[in-house]
Amino acid sequence: MTTHNHDTPNPYHESARDDAENKALTERVNKMEALLLEKGLVSQDALDKLTDIYENDLGPMNGANVVARAWIDPDFKKRLFENATSAIAELGYGGLQGEHMVAVENTPEIHNIVVCTLCSCYPWPVLGLPPAWYKSFAYRSKVVIEPRKVLAEFGTTLADDVEVRVWDSSAEIRYLVIPERPEGTENLSESELAAIVERDSMIGVTKVSAP
Amino acid sequence: MNEERIAKPEIAEMNGAATLPRKNGEMVFHDDWERKSFAIAVSLANQGLFDWAEFQRELISSIKDAEGDNPLHPSRGYFESWLVSLENLLEKKLAKA
Repeated sequence: MTTHNHDTPNPYHESARDDAENKALTERVNKMEALLLEKGLVSQDALDKLTDIYENDLGPMNGANVVARAWIDPDFKKRLFENATSAIAELGYGGLQGEHMVAVENTPEIHNIVVCTLCSCYPWPVLGLPPAWYKSFAYRSKVVIEPRKVLAEFGTTLADDVEVRVWDSSAEIRYLVIPERPEGTENLSESELAAIVERDSMIGVTKVSAP
Repeated sequence: MNEERIAKPEIAEMNGAATLPRKNGEMVFHDDWERKSFAIAVSLANQGLFDWAEFQRELISSIKDAEGDNPLHPSRGYFESWLVSLENLLEKKLAKA
């Protein structure tokens, strides 16, 4: 394995295998799959569906689509701030198990950040898997006391007169930050806008920058 | 998106050594066999061949094996350990069946 300089060391982010190793592993898995299909223990359909769910529905793209829609459609935006759960469901994203979604808007005057001080409550269906730092004790304890310092660690600096609001998620309420639309994006399409919205900006620790 | 389309927290939110490889919140698969072995394990657990907790224990132990005393340079990647644990568990379960 090669050495990496990620902030959280993760030796698994890159494949260090060569083609021959991959070929051997592929054959091993194909053999297992064939056996299980033959025994009727798995079905091709179920396997394809599961891959699709975990690979495609777990990412923050759903949230990015919500943000992009809010940026271009004032009526949607209005509905989003009135009742985020139902507005988000309009885009086909549901699966919240009784939790209410609340959308909070970043503006030049107000910056919102989300945390779960008790555990790691997170708006799954829109943001996918929570990042490791979101669950860390350091983030959970520090963001409430020194939000500006935490923001600075993410490279986000705010003017002194910007009000910082920290929202504590719970089993009942999950927050989604709608970041500010960056200048210079007036001509981007909805999908181009969604592509520039990164997960961290919807937790509120970063801002969205123009491409 | 209905209930069935939702990933299971017990799988997606595994912690510690078992944490799924991910980038910007999304799962990272390098090769198709990784994707496939992931789906096989989840599917078998969904069918009740084993509990997810059982698989997770197996996975953690095979990751620890691969790490030895050098956790940053394991002898094999996450999904290779995944595959090893899946093979071990299958062997046990199918021998019984």
